[in-house]
Amino acid sequence: MNTNSNTYTIIYSTIMVVIVAAVLAYVSVSLSGKQQANVNTETRQSILSSVNLGQGADEASDKNAYVEQEFNKYITDSYLVDAQGNKVEGDAFSLALTAGLKSQYDIMKQANPDVSKLTLPVFVCTLDDGSKVEIFPIYGAGLWGPIWGYVSLKDDYNTIYGATFLHKGETPGLGAEIATPMFSGQFIGKSIFDGSSLVSVTVVKGGAPEGSAHEIDAISGGTITSRALENAIRQWLEYYEPYLEKQKAER
Amino acid sequence: MDYLSLFVKSIFVDNMIFAYFLGMCSFLAVSKNVKTAFGLGIAVIFVILVTLPINYLLNKFFLTPGAMSWISPALADLDLSFLSFIIFIAVIAAITQLVEMIVEKFSPALYSSLGIFLPLIAVNCAVMGASLFMQERDFANLGYATVYALGSGIGWFLAIVAIAAIREKLAYSNVPKPLKGLGISFIITGLMGIAFMSFMGIQL
Amino acid sequence: MKKEIYQNPFFKANPVTVLVLGICSSLAVTVKLEPACVMALSVTFVTGFSSLFASLLRNTIPNRIRIIVQLVLVSLFVILIDQFLKAYAYDVSKQLSVYVGLIITNCIIMGRIEAFALGNKPWPSFVDGIANGLGYGMILVALAFIRELLGSGTLFGHQIIPDGWYEAGYMNNGLIILPPMALILVGLFIWLQRGIQKELIEK
Repeated sequence: MNTNSNTYTIIYSTIMVVIVAAVLAYVSVSLSGKQQANVNTETRQSILSSVNLGQGADEASDKNAYVEQEFNKYITDSYLVDAQGNKVEGDAFSLALTAGLKSQYDIMKQANPDVSKLTLPVFVCTLDDGSKVEIFPIYGAGLWGPIWGYVSLKDDYNTIYGATFLHKGETPGLGAEIATPMFSGQFIGKSIFDGSSLVSVTVVKGGAPEGSAHEIDAISGGTITSRALENAIRQWLEYYEPYLEKQKAER
Repeated sequence: MDYLSLFVKSIFVDNMIFAYFLGMCSFLAVSKNVKTAFGLGIAVIFVILVTLPINYLLNKFFLTPGAMSWISPALADLDLSFLSFIIFIAVIAAITQLVEMIVEKFSPALYSSLGIFLPLIAVNCAVMGASLFMQERDFANLGYATVYALGSGIGWFLAIVAIAAIREKLAYSNVPKPLKGLGISFIITGLMGIAFMSFMGIQL
Repeated sequence: MKKEIYQNPFFKANPVTVLVLGICSSLAVTVKLEPACVMALSVTFVTGFSSLFASLLRNTIPNRIRIIVQLVLVSLFVILIDQFLKAYAYDVSKQLSVYVGLIITNCIIMGRIEAFALGNKPWPSFVDGIANGLGYGMILVALAFIRELLGSGTLFGHQIIPDGWYEAGYMNNGLIILPPMALILVGLFIWLQRGIQKELIEK
């Protein structure tokens, strides 16, 4: 057989492409459930770690089951809020996944954002001592790729109880440091309001002054990522501000 | 982040060789003299610059989850991202082949100096790596992707020419025998990498 | 089958230190032992099976699209690995990030297909692929062992250096975690190997 003829080459490549595509499609479809479960677990774990819970996950024999159980135990309520701060029906968890956060971020990124379309997830966590903290996701663009995270506020809707940040492709050792507990731990105890105006949390290059209420240290060498994170937090807290104000007034 | 900042960063801070070690195989094989290193470097810049925008468009309009909704809303749930490796490498292999044929036809002089390197580039990790980083970093538009392609190509070019220049001089120095050639090249690349790390703090 | 097929890749013709293939991916994943081991196993799997299939198909592949057929074959196995890692070892797959995809352009695989599998029967090709993958993995794991032990004081994430040492003033070596040190360590490995095997010394 002449393996160099045009017909043979074309038939050969066609058959190859069909077989390869079939194998890959089959594997991808049959594993996608398991992959989605891992993504869900990661999101649940990040939400839990923003309220300083779920640390035992990496030692647990069945991580997915452990995280889901802890999540269901502590996250007692979740709902969506719109840009006016009213609660609306919907699946908060799927919007708290990175893809969900990105969809909301994309709405606001447009030149004339349609604010009425915005739906923001909120999670309510009941701690062991019965006190409640609420968890607010944030999302933004870092130096290289998306950065996102979950910030939890105490029931005065002002003091930060904990925070977790994640990233997709920041430089290891520099921007990637935002994902470390050492960095996110600095947020604990900071307040986002100054009187009645929202000031969020700012990162300070070269070290924040001791005991400052709104400032934390930037990552040395990772200033761009730190700034991007600061903007993302401020922006998302502004989206949530009507809701926060409403909740404060009700207290 | 503006274009200039991305450009400078992709050349110096996130240098393909010194920060990510991509394209090391051809890098070590070809960096024995400046002239050939120069030729390969130019060819790599060219191929990255052509393939990365193509892969960017393919990724944006076909491969990411829901990307095909522009054809028909019924396709919005389709997720073809598992095919991205195979599509990227196919584009790279096809483009290198195409570039080789075009260069051969229109500029035989350039072909005779570049020709032998072109087939090598299809398996150069720097080219594939640039496409994969593009996918991971999710650039906002085609402009950023193109600037990133140019920057990382130039970064690779600079690295290979610089090392080739050092290796040319190294031939005359008295290196311990077992370290000669390959061993010392690794160590020098490492030292260059440390030097390039000083760019990390720059801000634009 | 000749003994050389499965003995050479470990020392005499080690893909990393002698043939200088597959450096790209070997250095960036060696900061910690766990991703290094996963990477080593993944590459071994891909080299073994792509050599096997390339050898089975060697008489049918049209010469003009040879390289593309090989790349498709390799990327098929790489995508399988990637999908399985995402499903069963999610944390590791995140650490390896783009480097899983870069197995496709790992020169060892293409190099072994071109140099061995296309001219030999399936079984020796499979053994050759596996042995080369393991020879590569050996260097990877050795590098990761040194870098994790000296850089983070841990092995597989478990602390090895006793707390007493830190109290006595011992510090983890931050430099060794940084990318350039991987290159320097490979350079030292080559020095060591060529010190033992004088015939490999370059003129």
